[in-house]
Amino acid sequence: MSVWIDRIGYALLVALCAFALLLLVAPSVIVIVISFEPRAFISFPPSGFSLRWYRSVFENRQLMDSVWVSLGIASGVAVIGLLLGVPAAFASVRGRFPGKAGVNALLLSPQMMPGMVIGIASLFFGAYFAFRASNAMLMLSLSVFCLPFVVRIVMARLAGLDPLLDEASANLGAGKFETFVRVTLPQIAPALLAAAAFTFIEAFDNVTVALFTWDVRGRPLPVELYYLVQYDNTPAIAAISALEIGLSFLVMIIVARTVGLARLGR
Amino acid sequence: MTADALRRPGLPRLLRRILHGRGFWPAAPALAYLIVFMVLPIGTLLLFGFVTIERGRIVGDSFTLAHLDKALHDTLVWRLLWRSLWVATASSLLTLLLAYPVAYVFAELRGIWRMLVLIAVVSPLLTSALVRAYAWLVILGGRRGILNQALVSIGLIEEPLRILNTDWAVLIGMTQIHLPFMILPLLAVLDERDRRLEEASANLGASHTETFFRVTIPMSVPAIFAGLALVFAVSYTNFIVPQLLGGGNYSTLAVQVYEQTIVVLDWSRGAVLATILLSTCFAFVLAIVAFGSWLARWNEVAR
Amino acid sequence: MAHIVIEAVSKRFGANQVLDQCSVVVEKGTVLTLLGPSGCGKTTLLRTIAGFVEPDAGRVVVGGRDITAMPPNRRQVGYVFQNYALFPHLTVADNVAYGLRVQRRNRAEIAVRVAKALDLVALGPLAQRYPARLSGGQQQRVAIARALVLEPEVLLLDEPFNALDAQLRLAMQIELRKLIARVGITSIFVTHDQQEAMTLSDSVAVMRAGRIEQRAPPLEIYDRPDTAYVAEFIGRANLVPVRMRGGKVEGMAIAAPLPDGMATLIVRPENLRLLTGPCDGWTGRVGFATALGPTTEYEIDIGGGATLRVLAARRAGEAVIQAGQAVCVAVVDAAACRVLAGNRGDDG
Repeated sequence: MSVWIDRIGYALLVALCAFALLLLVAPSVIVIVISFEPRAFISFPPSGFSLRWYRSVFENRQLMDSVWVSLGIASGVAVIGLLLGVPAAFASVRGRFPGKAGVNALLLSPQMMPGMVIGIASLFFGAYFAFRASNAMLMLSLSVFCLPFVVRIVMARLAGLDPLLDEASANLGAGKFETFVRVTLPQIAPALLAAAAFTFIEAFDNVTVALFTWDVRGRPLPVELYYLVQYDNTPAIAAISALEIGLSFLVMIIVARTVGLARLGR
Repeated sequence: MTADALRRPGLPRLLRRILHGRGFWPAAPALAYLIVFMVLPIGTLLLFGFVTIERGRIVGDSFTLAHLDKALHDTLVWRLLWRSLWVATASSLLTLLLAYPVAYVFAELRGIWRMLVLIAVVSPLLTSALVRAYAWLVILGGRRGILNQALVSIGLIEEPLRILNTDWAVLIGMTQIHLPFMILPLLAVLDERDRRLEEASANLGASHTETFFRVTIPMSVPAIFAGLALVFAVSYTNFIVPQLLGGGNYSTLAVQVYEQTIVVLDWSRGAVLATILLSTCFAFVLAIVAFGSWLARWNEVAR
Repeated sequence: MAHIVIEAVSKRFGANQVLDQCSVVVEKGTVLTLLGPSGCGKTTLLRTIAGFVEPDAGRVVVGGRDITAMPPNRRQVGYVFQNYALFPHLTVADNVAYGLRVQRRNRAEIAVRVAKALDLVALGPLAQRYPARLSGGQQQRVAIARALVLEPEVLLLDEPFNALDAQLRLAMQIELRKLIARVGITSIFVTHDQQEAMTLSDSVAVMRAGRIEQRAPPLEIYDRPDTAYVAEFIGRANLVPVRMRGGKVEGMAIAAPLPDGMATLIVRPENLRLLTGPCDGWTGRVGFATALGPTTEYEIDIGGGATLRVLAARRAGEAVIQAGQAVCVAVVDAAACRVLAGNRGDDG
């Protein structure tokens, strides 16, 4: 009797798993597929194969401008994230000072904040000092939002390094800086790449912070999309989405090849 | 490093210690940055709910509880809070229901299957939330929605289902978007769990199902509640999905915060609502975590 | 001629006094082994010489230079770590070349010296391999080559055979001993394995709680231990409480310059023999017998809860004395015993 329950239970488990995986993947797949629709409305399956919507995306001046804006902001955030987060990770892993737990908590705390809160807070803070919303403000607040990613990824790699290697390097004559360059850096390089890539895509895609601090003079892509989605009915959005999915796939490959995908959950 | 390279004979030991900082100083820039660009701004956010704002600047020395008072007496706010709460709770539980099987099955897989599951789980994570919400917009849309088109053409239904612009659409959208957040921590825990406990259970006569409910799930309680807390928090404060999938008349507390701040430009009201949103979110998350640890402790005792 | 001088070095970690006024001198070209159980401070002492640990007090002098205040990267001592600490992102050749690169030597010189060092440890063909693909013994040799290529005055080795499996160990110990003799470098080993200490060293320093209890050539430590602790650490020893009277152990023909009163007699198991009749020693019963082949180890119950270990040579075919049999245990060579003052039992 219990064997049957086991069997049904297991079948249920597998069915739920399959359904969940389908749920995860289907939307992206559907979006990519409908982006090739030649007609001016959404249809699944598409009535044909056409790249016209991709062309229209590239010909859309406003859209392309926003892509450049987003690329710039995302790059800036990645750089700031690395400059701040990598040393912070070192302090977290190798430092031995009182209050380290508190420092760690503070470094990872932006993860606990909804993006919206960081966005509004930045907006109000800027207003307090008579700074209007701008892409610079967006970049600064996104850096806050993305800092924990860098810190966590680098910390994980750093913690796995053999501390005796630093001693061996010192024993062989290298000073602290030389040891860092010759021994530590080569070993954490993959993590740095993964952190940069992940931070880049998160900053590039982010909507929740961007909607509060964007600049009228140069809309980042997610904001542009946000407004587009509400009135545009053509597969153009599907085309942009497909491109964005492609970009995220690229990042995924980078992360997979450097620190491994499972690392993102820990 | 244990080696103290700052061995200039002139410097006294204490001064050396402070300069060396025992490894603290590399974190200083990041900490300073966070204090300036996170802590202070959030302080400002809380502050703005208790002063009068006119055209983006604070007016005079006014500290007032009027905004808070108004918000707390507004039935709309309470209704929205209630809706935010139940949507977030339902979405979290639904997410759990779908995430656990994925994590469990993953732990049994080997080789390329693992990689495929990881790709399936991680790729939505890296995709913009907007793109995912748009995808659901397209799928769940009215007459033209893909789901409806498919169901009608198969002949399963005659009239297209009205899913978009209802609670259901919001629920489905939120669940799918937050699924990776629940799956990844569970993945780690279930993959590394001690199988011998389950073997012991089988050896003592329990069936697979019994073992699952008596051993496996209790073992993963901490991870479950950590995931629930996380998904609850992001669902409760999510305003993109309710806006896009719930339609113009649909609102939650988070959506209100957005609208008051960016559309209506009533910053004080936006700030107060944000404060209410944050504090209730914190309280609920604390409750979830507390319940989780109580449950875990009860498990320990029972075992 | 004193090459390494460690003078009253002390170090405290938190509440733990790990090194307590430790002093030892190593002659040029000799091999010293620091021997002791974990926690006795031997590794800390080694690391102090290398500069990874800064002592609270005392001096470290190598080749006449006081290096106590020198940072580790200027000390020019060779160090082999317990887990070898090979750089995983560099090949064997690059690992060995590391120190030379830091010294900014030119490429030609580096190539020549690296090749020589690898030949010294017979690893030439593996020069382009990465450490992850080497066996434990090969990794150890790379670590040694990496240290020796810089031609240091001193070589320090922290339990270098710990990571190897037992079979490989003895062969590697002998090989290393020969290598060191060939190069003629002053060396200090750290180990908890007394067999290793006996194999490798010219001189052994037995450490305990941050101090050096006794320092002497291996056989002298074995034959004439200064304390019960040392006696028990090297080889096996019986510690028997006895009474002194008139400069002799009561009831036996063993002389010792100690006052009347309680004392501890240290006698090695192979220095005892079993007799069936009455004898000048202890009477007891056989408690347990382990037949080892060429020898038999007996545990003799001599009353009052005390036991004596006796290691008896066994001729082929000879029978083992059965448990329960009454025997008399006698000392074979009185001169090979040691008597220590006080009744310290196993405490030393």
